[in-house]
Amino acid sequence: MEQLTNLVISDRDLTTISSVLMRLMNDTNATSIMLIDKSGQVVAVQGSNTRRNATTLGALLAGVFSSSREVAKLLDEKDFRNIFQQGLQQNIYTSMVEEQWLLVIIFDRSTHIGLVKVLSKKASDELGRILERVRNDTTRAKSSVLNLQFRSSVEDTIDLLFRD
Amino acid sequence: MALINIASHEIHCKIVYYGIGYCGKTTNLQYVHKSITPNARGDMLSIATETERTLFFDFLPLDLGTVHGFRTRFHLYTVPGQILYERTRLAVLNGADGIVFVVDSQAEKFEENVQSIAELDMHMRRIGKDMSTFPVILQWNKRDMPNVLPVAVLERYLNRRRVPSFEAVASAGKGVFATLRAISKSVIAQL
Repeated sequence: MEQLTNLVISDRDLTTISSVLMRLMNDTNATSIMLIDKSGQVVAVQGSNTRRNATTLGALLAGVFSSSREVAKLLDEKDFRNIFQQGLQQNIYTSMVEEQWLLVIIFDRSTHIGLVKVLSKKASDELGRILERVRNDTTRAKSSVLNLQFRSSVEDTIDLLFRD
Repeated sequence: MALINIASHEIHCKIVYYGIGYCGKTTNLQYVHKSITPNARGDMLSIATETERTLFFDFLPLDLGTVHGFRTRFHLYTVPGQILYERTRLAVLNGADGIVFVVDSQAEKFEENVQSIAELDMHMRRIGKDMSTFPVILQWNKRDMPNVLPVAVLERYLNRRRVPSFEAVASAGKGVFATLRAISKSVIAQL
């Protein structure tokens, strides 16, 4: 499948995504939950601990996931769809949503991994349906933002900032 | 794949610096990090070996600030250049919106450069990207070295698609921002 050139998240989509993440966080008692694009871009974050480092975490977690997919291929395994990272205090469970997003759940010792696995699967299904809608709406929503005026202003800003 | 978040008024784009080992990809990012106004950049992250060779990737988030109500961000990545890290390069390329191919201009590196460009072409085909329309910029780096090939030769054999190219001495900052401006504009034009 050809990768999308871009993905547009509307107000309505983000509200729905945030409510799915919030419910998942409450039900699992997780400390933070992130939805990231597989290229490392952060779509949504719940939980104050990770918000500050969200951009870097997004890049690293997506990198870990991409790397594990390449490991799978070398082992003639179709895919590793989930990754579990276990620490002394914090754990991270990452799972793939469709082929586009990664759902990242950060939790401590007060939560059992089994609960996280089951509930993240349910949330992934729900997020998959939202993603389908986002994909369908992307072209229409994009034209409302990326007009000629916007592009030329961004170019001016690039000239201003990216110089010696 | 650029992410346009209308709800949070943010646009994120991913730019990957690609090329052979020691061609200067990390040096490009380090110069940008050092020279750009501090409020336009985040922390630079490097996952490197003990000898400071890139093991996984370098990462530098840049923030253009708010333009027409949208906060526009470019995330710069490098790939590890060493030949054995091919699968890691593929992992980092995932979701890229634009590529800067950094060429080590020295004559003895020519063959390696050719192989690296062929490898990039193959990866892009595999992930379903059409290289004839995808934003790519070439950078002829290390122009200060004594044994460099003439730019005309590099253009003829390494720039078959005639994409924009820039001469550079990344260690001294020459050509670094010209390259970054070109790829950023190219990415925005393709959104």
